[in-house]
Amino acid sequence: MTDFDFKTEVIWESIPILMSGLKLTIIITASGLLIGFFLGAFFGLLKLIKFKPLRYIANIYIETIRGTPIMVQVMFIYFGLPMALGMRINPLTSAISAIAINSGAYIAEIVRGSVQSIDKGQTEAGRSIGLTRMQNMLYVVWPQAFRRMIPPLGNQFIISLKDTSLFVVIGVGELTRTGQEIIATNFRAFEVWTTVAIMYLCITFVISKALNFLEYRLGLR
Amino acid sequence: MIIQIKDLHKYFGDLEVLKGINLEIEAGEVVVIIGASGSGKSTLLRCINKLEEITSGQIIVDGHDINGKDVNINEIRAETGMVFQQFNLFPHKTVLENVTLGPLKVRKMNSAEAKKIGLQLLEKVGLSEKANVYPAQLSGGQMQRVAIARSLALNPKVMLFDEPTSALDPELVGEVLEVMKQLANEGMTMIVVTHEMGFAREVADRVIFIDKGVIEEEGPPEQIFDNPQNERTKAFLAKVK
Repeated sequence: MTDFDFKTEVIWESIPILMSGLKLTIIITASGLLIGFFLGAFFGLLKLIKFKPLRYIANIYIETIRGTPIMVQVMFIYFGLPMALGMRINPLTSAISAIAINSGAYIAEIVRGSVQSIDKGQTEAGRSIGLTRMQNMLYVVWPQAFRRMIPPLGNQFIISLKDTSLFVVIGVGELTRTGQEIIATNFRAFEVWTTVAIMYLCITFVISKALNFLEYRLGLR
Repeated sequence: MIIQIKDLHKYFGDLEVLKGINLEIEAGEVVVIIGASGSGKSTLLRCINKLEEITSGQIIVDGHDINGKDVNINEIRAETGMVFQQFNLFPHKTVLENVTLGPLKVRKMNSAEAKKIGLQLLEKVGLSEKANVYPAQLSGGQMQRVAIARSLALNPKVMLFDEPTSALDPELVGEVLEVMKQLANEGMTMIVVTHEMGFAREVADRVIFIDKGVIEEEGPPEQIFDNPQNERTKAFLAKVK
């Protein structure tokens, strides 16, 4: 046995700094997912259009993103793109873009699957009363599909939240990076990583519960 | 003449489902289409509402060739109400919202007008007290009556019924047929695909027997049911009686 003594005061000292990291993690995740949801809805619906070239565009996006690691994606955005564009992209923008583009590809598949799972009879009924394609999607299919998206979306939200920890590679001061920085000064790896882990757990727990609640509310109908 | 079908052919892949249908329907007429499963009778109905693309021929609804290039199919669909075997109510909308969706979005009415029409129609089909419940809380017969009200809400010129009672428990069939009889008596133009021979005999102005994608025989119900001329009609009626 080592004579390891757990120092609680380290935790209390780290929390304020870690909280600033947590705040950034939440900002990156929330903004990234918000944009990611619109990207996903757009490309997911694009995949359902009969016109093939549009479907190909959606497929290229989805397959490229799903087929490459998010760490490579963020390093491409942060280190790679500036070389081609001749301008810097700050770490926060890179991080948000990476989450948006990455989650968008997965959300596109969630959207496509949910929309396709709605019975064809719904569309026939909607069109038969004279709704246009767009109106039918908006008022008949989408609201029903959206309910089915919630569980897989919750899954994606949690995955994306945890993916932000990989952004230590671009030096954006999110939760994991903050933890690393604290350890570099006090060498209390056990206490700090425990605190960091619990903070991630709290947030994922809140996301899970919030989505369960939303699912329950919508499911009441 | 409200509907005119000329030499309609419809293929599903290599299978020819409709083999040259010619049919004319007058305003106010109640036409019942009978025939075995797979004879093409539902497909014919679905072609009139353009839920199926036709392979060749022409369908003219209220003076418009529905497959014509400059035709707004949404306007024509609003004029031809469709009632489905599986009801296809919108499960996320209340009964009243199901009925008012068309008036609101297709007819661009304001919500007060739409609600007024919706409630009138629910009263007509005997479901006023269900206006604010969701379809999941209704019986099959009630759902189908809501579906009829939903189609009527657009004030269509023709109502198409695709086996409206086939998915219902036997004791619920009557309430739906009653609503349909009432509509027929009010002078609605109706095309009904059904296996309810009693309804056909009582309400139809004309009965059409389709077999293997061809209209084999048509005429007033007395002729078709009591004195069929065609061998296939006789064979079919012998089976369903």
